Amino acid sequence: MTRASGVAAAKPRRRPVGANVARVGLVLALAFGALAGGAGYWQVMRAAPLSNASDNPAVVAAARRAVRGEIVDRDGAWLARSDRRDANGEPYRVYRSAVVSPVIGYASRQFGSAGLERTYDAQLVGLARPDPVADLLKKFDPDPYDPQRLTLSLSLELQQAAVEGLGRDRGAVVIIQPKTGEILALASTPIYDASGVANPVTSEAVFAELQSDDSLPLLPRATQGRYIPGSVFKIVTAMAALGSGAVTTDTTYAEQPKAERDGLLVQGFRVRDGHHLFTGNKALDFQEATEVSCNIWFALTGLEAGPEALAETAARLGFGETIPFDLPLGRSQITNGGGSFGAGFKDAVELANAAYGQGETVVTPFQMALVAAAVANDGVIMEPHLVTSLTGKEGGTRRVEPQPWRQIVTPLVAREIQAAMQRAVEGELGRLFTRGADVPGVETAGKSGTAELDGGANPHSWFIGFAPVDDPQVAIAILVEGGGRGGERAAPLAGSLMKTALDYLDGG
Amino acid sequence: MTGLRASSPPAPSPQAPAGTPGGPAGPATPSGPAPAGALVLPPILAGIRPRPRWRELGLLSIVAAALSAGSISLGATLRARDAEAGTGIPEGAFAPYGATLLAIYLGALLAAHVAQVLAGRRSDQVLLPAVGLLGGISLLLMERLPQTLAGQFGGLAQTQLVWLLIAIGMLTTLAIAVRSDSWLRLYKYTWAAAGVGLLLLTFVLGRDVNGARLTLELGPISGQPSELLKVILVVFLAGYLSENRALLVEQSTRVGPFQLPPLPYLAPMVAMWAIALGIVVVQRDLGAALLFFAVFLLLLYIATARWSYVVLGLAVFLAGGALMYAIFGHVQQRVDIWLDPFADPRGAGYQVVMALYAFARGGILGTGLGNGLPTVGGGQPGGIPEIHTDFPLAALGEELGLIGIMAILGLYLVVIERGLRIAASAADEFRSLLAAGLSLVVGVQAFIIAAGNLKLIPLTGITLPFISYGGSSLLANSLVVGLLLALSDRGVEPPPPPRSGRRLARLLDRGAP
Repeated sequence: MTRASGVAAAKPRRRPVGANVARVGLVLALAFGALAGGAGYWQVMRAAPLSNASDNPAVVAAARRAVRGEIVDRDGAWLARSDRRDANGEPYRVYRSAVVSPVIGYASRQFGSAGLERTYDAQLVGLARPDPVADLLKKFDPDPYDPQRLTLSLSLELQQAAVEGLGRDRGAVVIIQPKTGEILALASTPIYDASGVANPVTSEAVFAELQSDDSLPLLPRATQGRYIPGSVFKIVTAMAALGSGAVTTDTTYAEQPKAERDGLLVQGFRVRDGHHLFTGNKALDFQEATEVSCNIWFALTGLEAGPEALAETAARLGFGETIPFDLPLGRSQITNGGGSFGAGFKDAVELANAAYGQGETVVTPFQMALVAAAVANDGVIMEPHLVTSLTGKEGGTRRVEPQPWRQIVTPLVAREIQAAMQRAVEGELGRLFTRGADVPGVETAGKSGTAELDGGANPHSWFIGFAPVDDPQVAIAILVEGGGRGGERAAPLAGSLMKTALDYLDGG
Repeated sequence: MTGLRASSPPAPSPQAPAGTPGGPAGPATPSGPAPAGALVLPPILAGIRPRPRWRELGLLSIVAAALSAGSISLGATLRARDAEAGTGIPEGAFAPYGATLLAIYLGALLAAHVAQVLAGRRSDQVLLPAVGLLGGISLLLMERLPQTLAGQFGGLAQTQLVWLLIAIGMLTTLAIAVRSDSWLRLYKYTWAAAGVGLLLLTFVLGRDVNGARLTLELGPISGQPSELLKVILVVFLAGYLSENRALLVEQSTRVGPFQLPPLPYLAPMVAMWAIALGIVVVQRDLGAALLFFAVFLLLLYIATARWSYVVLGLAVFLAGGALMYAIFGHVQQRVDIWLDPFADPRGAGYQVVMALYAFARGGILGTGLGNGLPTVGGGQPGGIPEIHTDFPLAALGEELGLIGIMAILGLYLVVIERGLRIAASAADEFRSLLAAGLSLVVGVQAFIIAAGNLKLIPLTGITLPFISYGGSSLLANSLVVGLLLALSDRGVEPPPPPRSGRRLARLLDRGAP
């Protein structure tokens, strides 16, 4: 009886399952909608970055199969091309000259790529198309690849001259046009045989030898070498101090002449200098201090400006951050950081030393070229670039237009520093140090540096400068590892290279 | 057997085929369309009463056109690559495939159609074309992948074709021959026991593949029992839920905000579920565990309309998931890869990262069939490991693009929609629940693996129904579709009257005064 009543009670209240089925169907439809959304996310929104990623097997495979686009210099002379094929018929890269290897790098089947070959991998292979519609419709193109030709601002002629000028020394030369940001030369020595790396027959042996070479030829010194700057860093200190108003061009320090003889005592540390013979008891102002490269004046100025002002100016110049450029750049720094004195400095001693380029400060030659360019271009750094245009076979040409990157100091301050740097090259006392940098018949400005190294090794020889002063066409930074005093090695090389560069630009 | 078709009126004369012009049978058949007049059969086939399926034929011809276009495109692409420098695909590799394989496949689909026409059943006309297109896409994909990936009967594509043909044959046989559901309805506990026995057998005798014990080998036959088990589970759940539905709904007890079903009624079901889940966890087949659980919850909802059961089930699932994450290293690894595959793109995350690259390369329109990365297959540099079983969607996403993915997802939705429609219009609850469960098995499985491919949920190693390579998956899913087709025939044998003899209910009622 109980059984019957139980079933009977349940029966009339039973509802058909149709409505429940419809609701479950709706849930599934929504779930499949989410799938479609997921597919849209990966195939539309994230499509470009993922498909151009350098470890995407399509990029790797295309790099192996496709004929990479040419790379040419600013005069149209080829620097890299793929006109040879190996035993399997796969094309490989040939480079015109080893002098451009640290810039262009290599594209090797066995060892991947470096330099511009790496940065512009997707474009050179022709996977990436310039405009989105062409990208969408590329499947209908019988040839899936549209390799693009890179035109560089680099001049093979100037690059050659720079490498020859460095000779057997290890070092770097950066020549930049301050008004456009175009890089004319970007030399690093020692150079290496990129064609040997790219050729599948010799690849293994050449690469193994390069990797075991103590002179580190695979390190592009101009962009990734990090060096103590020495006195060339005084220009950064000047920008910070004059720019922040901490000092003026007329500022002098009464204790400075005496300190020339005995050294400047900063918290028990003695900052030394070596030019008192020339200036005697005169308290120097900014221009005179720059002309004779007075460590005492710049140490005092650094302390006057304070750590924050120095750090702030350096950061705007690109220290410690990623500067937009076609090649990866080493990070320059003014201090190791972690100190409590301000902006990461340990104490006043470190700041004073950093102010004339001998603290924990390290810079890349490329960074110092930007410093010179900033002064030359009235305080504005133009975005530095090597690639001026990309040309596809149908996609047309995409040009890279010059554009300002950052204003570092006002034009007024920039001109004050220009004048000081001109005196450092052409002034009566400046000539004693850096006469070699003077371009005959052209007003030249610059600053040499001698980076003292621990352990009494031969110092690094530095120079940064620009010419002509009233209408700067080229700015330059030179580093020669162990090259001795800045005025002895780097400055004369800078003079001859700036002359070559100005003649080259005049000649068209 | 034809006499069992309850809703079709008896024909006046078995010698006169339905719809003979002027014959009295024509107007007397309310739903039977007349144009079968063309099909006048020789006297030897007198017992056969064909019923045309124009809609199915029309859809199948669209499927044939689409697959032919795909095959021509694929053939042209591969031949062009073949001609170019002889790299990649060896000389003449495409020759044995392409046209011949596709022709055989389309012929099988047509035969399945004709067989159903001759059988004269009024079953669904959309399922076969939808599933046929998915299977055809699978065939094209297998032709395009490296043939050395797998294959019992020749290369990858040939083997897949053999399985597809067997699957179509099984589907058609079930669709024609199954006219009664009592063999499913009455023996649900037997089926459940058989399923569990199968799994236990796998656990004892199975072979370890990639750390999971999924494969059962008996002499020359090997297969994945969990594929079959999903069908058995649905049959059991449908039988049990339809029988005890009223009790599950009516006699609930409230615990806090939740309404719990009376525990004794839920016990056999939970036990069945727990055994299946437990074995699956021991076998490390996470995908199957997720599939079983989701289908169980959704069927429970369809039977009871209680969201509270679903919420409760989800809570239990999340707790179980957290526990498994804490205990099992392989679960933890799966989840970690899911959260950030790019943390170790060359190691643990390799498979997922390569799949995402493939999706990205496809973009909106895709690269075209055969035009994806030449080394798209597993085992080659840059290839996706296990692409033919675990990542067919990534391969199709690259070559057919976002629109192709949308079309494939749409096809699954069509299959689900047809299945649920059959469920909603079925004659009784058992059939409703069975049809719903069968369509959910396909839909949820497709969702789980597609979502895993697209990094929406952690990746699990279950197959994409009708597309992934493999006999077990194809046969189990053709079983599902075959049963759905049989259930869709409104002319099928009427369900038995509701049984009053619920053994469990009787036992319980006896216990209570």
